[in-house]
Amino acid sequence: MPPGTEKITEMTKGLTNKICGMIAVTLVSVLFLLVPFSGAAIKFKYITSIYTDDQGVPLKEAEGVACNNQTHLIVADTGNGRLLKYIFKDGTVETGTVEIKPDQLLYPIKTEINSRGEIYIFDRKERRIVRLSPAGEFRGYLQPVGLPSPTGYVPRSFTIDKEDNIYILDILSERVLTLSPDGRYLRHLEFPQGYGFFSDITVDYAGTVLIVDSVKGIVYRAAKLSTGFSPITKNLKEYVRFPASLTSDNRGRIYLVDKNGGSIIILGQDGSFLGRQSSMGWKEGWLNYPAQMCINDKGEIFVADTNNSRVQVFELVE
Amino acid sequence: MSGYIALFSLCLMGFFILATPPAYSADTFKLKPGARGATCLKCHENFKEILKKGYVHPLLKKGECTGCHVPHTSSHKSLLVADTTKLCYNCHQKVLPEDRRSAHEAVVEGNCTTCHASHGSNNKFILLKSGSELCFDCHKNMSDYLKNVRFKHPSIEKGKGCLNCHNPHASAESDHLLQKKVPALCKECHKTDKLTFKTTHMEYPVVDADCNSCHSPHGSNNRGIVFNVAHADVTKKRCNQCHKEPTSPNALKTKKETTQLCRECHQDMVDQTFNKNRVHWPLVDKVGCLNCHDPHATKEEKLLKGSIVDVCGKCHGDTVELQKWSINNPKNEKLCEPVKKGECTSCHSPHASDNILLFPQQSTGVELCGRCHEWQTHSTHPIGEKIIDPRDKNLTVECISCHKACGTGNNPAMLPFSNTYELCIQCHPERRR
Repeated sequence: MPPGTEKITEMTKGLTNKICGMIAVTLVSVLFLLVPFSGAAIKFKYITSIYTDDQGVPLKEAEGVACNNQTHLIVADTGNGRLLKYIFKDGTVETGTVEIKPDQLLYPIKTEINSRGEIYIFDRKERRIVRLSPAGEFRGYLQPVGLPSPTGYVPRSFTIDKEDNIYILDILSERVLTLSPDGRYLRHLEFPQGYGFFSDITVDYAGTVLIVDSVKGIVYRAAKLSTGFSPITKNLKEYVRFPASLTSDNRGRIYLVDKNGGSIIILGQDGSFLGRQSSMGWKEGWLNYPAQMCINDKGEIFVADTNNSRVQVFELVE
Repeated sequence: MSGYIALFSLCLMGFFILATPPAYSADTFKLKPGARGATCLKCHENFKEILKKGYVHPLLKKGECTGCHVPHTSSHKSLLVADTTKLCYNCHQKVLPEDRRSAHEAVVEGNCTTCHASHGSNNKFILLKSGSELCFDCHKNMSDYLKNVRFKHPSIEKGKGCLNCHNPHASAESDHLLQKKVPALCKECHKTDKLTFKTTHMEYPVVDADCNSCHSPHGSNNRGIVFNVAHADVTKKRCNQCHKEPTSPNALKTKKETTQLCRECHQDMVDQTFNKNRVHWPLVDKVGCLNCHDPHATKEEKLLKGSIVDVCGKCHGDTVELQKWSINNPKNEKLCEPVKKGECTSCHSPHASDNILLFPQQSTGVELCGRCHEWQTHSTHPIGEKIIDPRDKNLTVECISCHKACGTGNNPAMLPFSNTYELCIQCHPERRR
C-alpha cells in the first residue's frame, strides 16, 4: 500500500459513514413528513353517472345506494318509490336492471346489502326496515325480538356488519341496538351525553360502530366490545356543513356525506381529516344534497346524488 | 476569550437594566406638590364642577390624575395610560370573575363608560343615569315592551329596578346576569309556603320548578305575568290535562310521552303529519314536539321556543349562518324577503312534507317561488317542466337552477356563483369569454 493510502482510506470511510448517516436522517425525516399527509393523496376520480333504469325511466331524488363486491348495486329511487338493482361491471352499468317495487315499500331511503345478498331498506314514511330477498321479494319487516325496556324504538338509520348483524340507530330511546341477522336483540349502546342529533350509523371492517352527530359535526365510535361511545373528532364544522351520512372502507377510513355542503369528507380511522372531495353543483362530478355513499373493495364509490336525481360513480385514487 | 466574557456581561447587564421597570419613588422626578393632580386643575377648571358632584372617582378625589393619565405624552386618547377598553381593569379586575356563567357585553368589551362617567356624577357608582333608565338606553326593546305591557313585574319599578334581579357586570350563578338561578331568585320575594302560592298552582309541587316555564319575568298582558302566548290548558289552569293528578307521587310527570301526549288533543294535526312521506326527524325522537315548542307559555307565536330562525338554527346552524351572512351582504338587494326576515317556514313545512327539503309543494321551483314572485315577468329565460337542464338530464330548469333559496353569502341575487357570467356559462359554455 503506497504511503498515505491508509489515511485516505480512513478519510473515505469517515466520509462514507457521514454520507450514509445524512441519507438515513433525510430518509427518516421524509418518512415522518410523508406519514401524516399520506391521506392527502386520496382522491375521487369521476367515472360515470346513472340516470335511468333499463327502460329509460329517470331516477327521481334517489336517496339510497348500496353496493357489494359482486358487482351488485342497489339504488333507492326514492321519488319513484322503488329500488333498482343494477349490475355494475368494468366501470359501466350492464343491461338487465331489475326494478323492485313491493307494495310494502312506500318511501325507500337508506339501503344495505348483507353478505347473502339480501336487501334491507329503510322506509322513511313507515319508519320501518324492510327485508327483501336477493331477487327483491318481500320477506317482511325487521321486527326486533327481545328488546329490553324501553321497548319502543324509532329507527333513524341502520347498518349491517360483515357477520350480518343489524345495527339500528334508535332516536326514540337514544341508543344503538344490535340485532342478530334474524332480528334477535344482542346488545345496545346508549347515545353519548350532550349530543345534537344522530343521523347515521355504520360499522367498519373491525366491527367498530361509528355514528355521526349532524348538528354538532362530531363522529363517535364504539369498538366491538366497548360499552359506550367516545368522540373521535372535534367539531368538524370547519370542514363540513351538515354530515348526514357516513360509511367506511376496508382500511377503516371514514367517509362523511356532507348533505348541505354537497361533498364527501374523508377521515382517517382515528378521525383525522384526510380531505374533501367534490362540491355543490349540478354538473357531473358535482353533488347536490347527496344522501348516501357506498364503497366496495375495488374502490368503486357510488353516491346517491339526491337533488340531482342521479347516482354518481367515482373511483378511489390513492 | 476574556473579551467575549466582558461583552456577555455587558449584554446581561443591559438586559437587566432594560427589563427591570424603573422603581420610581416620590422624589425621582422631584415633583412639585400637587403635580399628580392638583396642578392639573389649574388649567382644567371644569373639574371643579365635577368635584362638586355627589360621587367622584376616588383617584380624582385624591387629586391623582396620574392614576389614569400621563402628564406629557401618550399613545392613547385623552393622554390615558392605557386604551380605554383596558384602563379600568388595571384596578377593577374583580368586575369580571373568571368563573362567570354570564357577563355583560359592555363589560367584556371594556366599554365601562357606556354606563359609568369616568370622573364623577350625581349617581351612585358614578353611573351616567340612575336605576333602570340607564339600562333602557341600550335595551330599548325591553323598554318599549314594558311601556305597552298590561302587567309589569313589580320589582322592575321598585328599588334598584333591573338590578333587583340582574347583576350589572357578570354572574357566577346564572345566565342572563341573574343574581341567582331561577327559582332560587324568585323565591327571595315570592313565598312558596303561602297558601295562595299552592292554590294558584293548582296544588302542583312547583316549588322547585322553572318559573320562566310559564311566567314572563318582566311582564306580560296576562294575569300572573304568564307569557303572552300560553297553552290554552295553562291559562285555563287545566294542568291535569297533560300532567298526572297533583296528589300523585309523580305529579309533574306527564300522562304520556311527548308526541303521543300532544296527539291527545292535536290528533288531526299529528295524524296528518305522520301520514306524510317525510316527517321532520326531531318530531319522532325522544323530545318530539318539545324540540321546538314550549308546552306551557312563551313570547313567540305557536308556543315556539324562540324566533323561527333561532329554533331552526338550533340544528341547522350552517344554513342560518349562511342566511345571516347573506343579510349582511352589501349586494343583497334581491335577497328573498323570507330569508331576510328569517321566516324559514315560508318555504319549508316544519312538521312534515311529501317532498324533499320539506318543501310544501312537489315543484321545488316555479310553484313554490311563484307564491311570492311573478316569475313570468322574470325574464325570457326558458323555465318550467318542459325545459331540460343541460347540466343534468334528469332535472328541469326551475328557479333553484340559478338561485339558491337560503342565501349565498356574498353573491348577488342569491346566485350560487359570484356573478351572472359564471352562472350562465354553466349551461352556455359556448359563451365563455
